[in-house]
Amino acid sequence: MIVPMGTIMGLSALLFGIGAFGFLARRNIILMVVSIEVMLNAVNLSLAGFSHQLNDSRGQVLALLVIAVAAAEAAVGLGLVLAMNRNRPGAHIADLTSLKW
Amino acid sequence: MNAAEATFYYLAAASVGSALLAVTRSNPVHSMLWVLALFLHVAGIFLLLGAEFLAAVQVIVYAGAILIFYLFVVMLLDLPDEEAGPRYGPHWPFAAAAGLSFAALAWLARTQWIGALDGARAVSAAVPGDTPELGSAAAIGFALFGPFALPFEIAGLVLLAAIIGSVVLARRPEVGP
Repeated sequence: MIVPMGTIMGLSALLFGIGAFGFLARRNIILMVVSIEVMLNAVNLSLAGFSHQLNDSRGQVLALLVIAVAAAEAAVGLGLVLAMNRNRPGAHIADLTSLKW
Repeated sequence: MNAAEATFYYLAAASVGSALLAVTRSNPVHSMLWVLALFLHVAGIFLLLGAEFLAAVQVIVYAGAILIFYLFVVMLLDLPDEEAGPRYGPHWPFAAAAGLSFAALAWLARTQWIGALDGARAVSAAVPGDTPELGSAAAIGFALFGPFALPFEIAGLVLLAAIIGSVVLARRPEVGP
């Protein structure tokens, strides 16, 4: 282990906190979805750290499955953004106040 | 501090810096490029942790496919007034408090895991066997098609559902009766 496990956990916590702030604070829907990617990357980092620490490949397999789910989430989320943009130009979360156009 | 440690601390500092810049830039394209920098630095940390296959997937799938997809959508939507308006909603101090408190909680909790993990490492490192090297494509493949075969198939199903769903969502509605 080049660095203690706690250092990797701390880095992962910092990145997850930054992603959570971005998701909650940004007004642009695309940047909110990108902040989710930052949070997923932080989780992948801690999974890889655990895998290295415990000498077990299960953590890396879980990280691969997280990447697959992130790809699916990006596809569906951006499809939703495109569909909403067709009805009402712009990508601001505060504009989505009506349930039906 | 040896070279590997110095590399890790550089990669960690650059990741945190690019993540901060990614969520604070007002231009969406600049944000995407900072997220690209974050993904590449995290791939470097994966390499240092011995997860070579995961680092390759991170660069090819995350930085190469998913992020380019985001850039396509940003440029397709053409948001000219994005930089003029406020980049955060009016509730952003609460969001900052939530992010900070989560990071602080996880930072405080991590010290309790270190001792337990060192014990677990001693147990699992004692298991003998001629398994392939941890983190190589062979090890990941044996795990994916062995004990993780069902989750692997379910991940494929999730991706298929996402493909069909995004095609249905983004298709133009047909005009006519």
